[in-house]
Amino acid sequence: MALTRRGFVRTAGLGAAGAFAHTWISARGRENALWSAVEPALQAAESGLIVLASNENPMGPGPHVLSAVKAAFGDGGRAPGRYSNAGRDLIDAIAKKQGVKPENVVLGCGSTQILRSATHLFTAKDKPLVGTIPTYEECAGYAEMMGHPVRPVALDADFTIDLDKLAAASNGAGLVFYCNPNNPTATYVGARATREYFAKVNRESPETTILVDEAYFDYVTDPDHDTHIPIAVENPRILVARTFSKAYGMAGLRMGYAIGHKDTIKKMADWDGGTGTGSLNVLALHAGLAAIQQDASFTAAERARNKAVRDFTMSWFAERGMKPTDSQANFMFVNIGRPAKAFRDACRKKGVAVARDFPPFEKTHCRLSFGTMDEMKKAVAVFGDVLAKKANAA
Amino acid sequence: MSVSRRGFLRGTVLPFSESVIAARGMEAYQANAGQDRSARSLVPPGVTEIRISSNENPLGPGKAVLEAILGKFPEAGRYPFNSTPNDGALTSAIAAKFKIKPDNIVLGGGSQEILKNAVRAFTTPARGLVTGAPSFENCPGVAKKLGHPIKEIKVDSLFRLDLEPMIEAAKGAGLVFFNNPNNPTATVHGAKAVADFVIRVRQSSPETVILIDEAYHDYVSDPSYESAIPLALETPNVFVTRTFSKAYGMAGMRVGYAIGRAETIKPLEKLKMPYDLSVFSIAAAISALGDSKHIEAERERNTKVRAFTIKALDEFGCKTAVSHGNFLFVDVGKPAKEFREACAKQGVVVGRDFPPFEKTHVRISIGTMDEMQKAAAVFRSVLRPATTADARRIEEASWR
Repeated sequence: MALTRRGFVRTAGLGAAGAFAHTWISARGRENALWSAVEPALQAAESGLIVLASNENPMGPGPHVLSAVKAAFGDGGRAPGRYSNAGRDLIDAIAKKQGVKPENVVLGCGSTQILRSATHLFTAKDKPLVGTIPTYEECAGYAEMMGHPVRPVALDADFTIDLDKLAAASNGAGLVFYCNPNNPTATYVGARATREYFAKVNRESPETTILVDEAYFDYVTDPDHDTHIPIAVENPRILVARTFSKAYGMAGLRMGYAIGHKDTIKKMADWDGGTGTGSLNVLALHAGLAAIQQDASFTAAERARNKAVRDFTMSWFAERGMKPTDSQANFMFVNIGRPAKAFRDACRKKGVAVARDFPPFEKTHCRLSFGTMDEMKKAVAVFGDVLAKKANAA
Repeated sequence: MSVSRRGFLRGTVLPFSESVIAARGMEAYQANAGQDRSARSLVPPGVTEIRISSNENPLGPGKAVLEAILGKFPEAGRYPFNSTPNDGALTSAIAAKFKIKPDNIVLGGGSQEILKNAVRAFTTPARGLVTGAPSFENCPGVAKKLGHPIKEIKVDSLFRLDLEPMIEAAKGAGLVFFNNPNNPTATVHGAKAVADFVIRVRQSSPETVILIDEAYHDYVSDPSYESAIPLALETPNVFVTRTFSKAYGMAGMRVGYAIGRAETIKPLEKLKMPYDLSVFSIAAAISALGDSKHIEAERERNTKVRAFTIKALDEFGCKTAVSHGNFLFVDVGKPAKEFREACAKQGVVVGRDFPPFEKTHVRISIGTMDEMQKAAAVFRSVLRPATTADARRIEEASWR
């Protein structure tokens, strides 16, 4: 089974993306597959470990949200013993915040559940998933598991989504996973170009659904930045995924959502949705409610905090001749001129955890998430030490 | 639509081959689940709601668990795989509790995730699902969505899963859902009956997977009952599900798990959603596993309140199926909807409809003693003679 799937990916890769594919797709297992969907757990994290591996918000959700979690224990601490209907309140609050109707919102256990449901519903054996190489792996991992074909599309020279190539590959696709900013490369496609891409796909391949993952939306500082939620609520073929795991600092709570046309949302909810008795825990529902009701200054402050750290870290690399991509997120993708694994292992020994491999760039590039400014100042000292040593020939 | 569905269910009094039901599914399930909510909306403002509709532990998880959650506040921003301890530590704690290996365990977001994935993994359009009628609706709900066939076998006259017709129906089936104790009837089968059932199904249909759902394990007081976990570990194609939602008082935290032979549960591991458990849920479950006294106390408390409630209902002339859960399946002699709505107007919310018994039976979860004393008074007022026959029955009962 796994072999077949791997074989399929190889075929798809050659078919859609041409010769570039075969140079880096070999007989890797699921763990190390083309899209490895599973993040490796840190080995027992020693206290003081600086974790720059998973694009988390190092500040967490803040006292306001945590107070709401504590309040959600309820009278006598009994509420965690109850199935919760708070999902309805959270849907209402999200709808209000995003200016849509509750029928346009479905909740998920992180955006993971949203990505899986969309892949489940909109791909099939004859309706491929399309995604860039690399991108966040969940959709492709799920499609591979279901035995649905995956069409990988190479990024452009700036590690940004190549819209012409993507549009060509989107023809006849069941689902396009459009991660913007793109994880792990951190690059961003402006709102206007994205809308033109949507229109082209809608015109040329009207049955194709586009899942726009706006996980890192709140970190973008590009002037041509806009959400695609208003298009999604009108267009059954566009769906936007959001998460509380990034700027809202709630990765540990598992809460995400999708916004789309009511018919698309109903399909999602009917397959694997609901309002809380499934996989959504009561504390996360209340945390989400408190988080989404905060005024916009919360995300604005987090965006500014991240940008200062991002500027500092990217300059540090650029000054040493290592050019990062143009990051619009809370992480960066940088050419360190050596295998990510060697760099990762060396940093880990010095108390800094950086991200997993991202083929096809695992021999040269590393993804680093931004911690606090204090953490990054310590981390660059470690990077300096590690990178000062001559890279082993890959 | 609902009439024809019900009509189909009523067909369960017919000979076995015609008693098989395939027409119900997630829609009916969701419609029924929504009945809780609509009943709750009838609770008058200012009246304290007594919620005995969802088989929850009314006391919640207890102080140690809440403290474990508070202790994880600094890690709310970390993915579960980066938290300390991470989700692997929960698997290890469960493995230690049962003295088994981590690869005998698959975690889930409540046992519902496991049930859902079991239907996905083990049924096909050709190999369907076998379950009780009534039984927990999750598996048939998923099978219906997938368009896989469903055979629902009516419980026996004592409201127990009816083993012989289930064995017959299991021939060629993909999955048997065996809920023991059975929700909503609360009846249980002893260890020998379960072991014989497994042997017979494996003889007549070796490819069929048997899911034994022990959600209410900790509430059983029948001495002939034993967990099927040892059986699952030694028998291919058999696995057991457990949950933290019932005796552990953590329904809101969404943690459950499957135990079985590694090769049996591997498809569940494959379908498991990554990062399905929150860092709080992981910490809560690990803490709860370390406190067996808390579960003992909950079992005792429930047994006592259960006995009180059964007796009170008996005094109003209402017969209860022998209960080994934290809930009762009671013949109230009138439609569940009517009873539910009348109780809700007095602040007591009981369970949804459970066809084919929705015209006569209601499921009542066991709250605290205080709640059940108040609920009993409400039941009495609602059951108060609608007809002279009822009046006589209740009057006679009150003489005894």
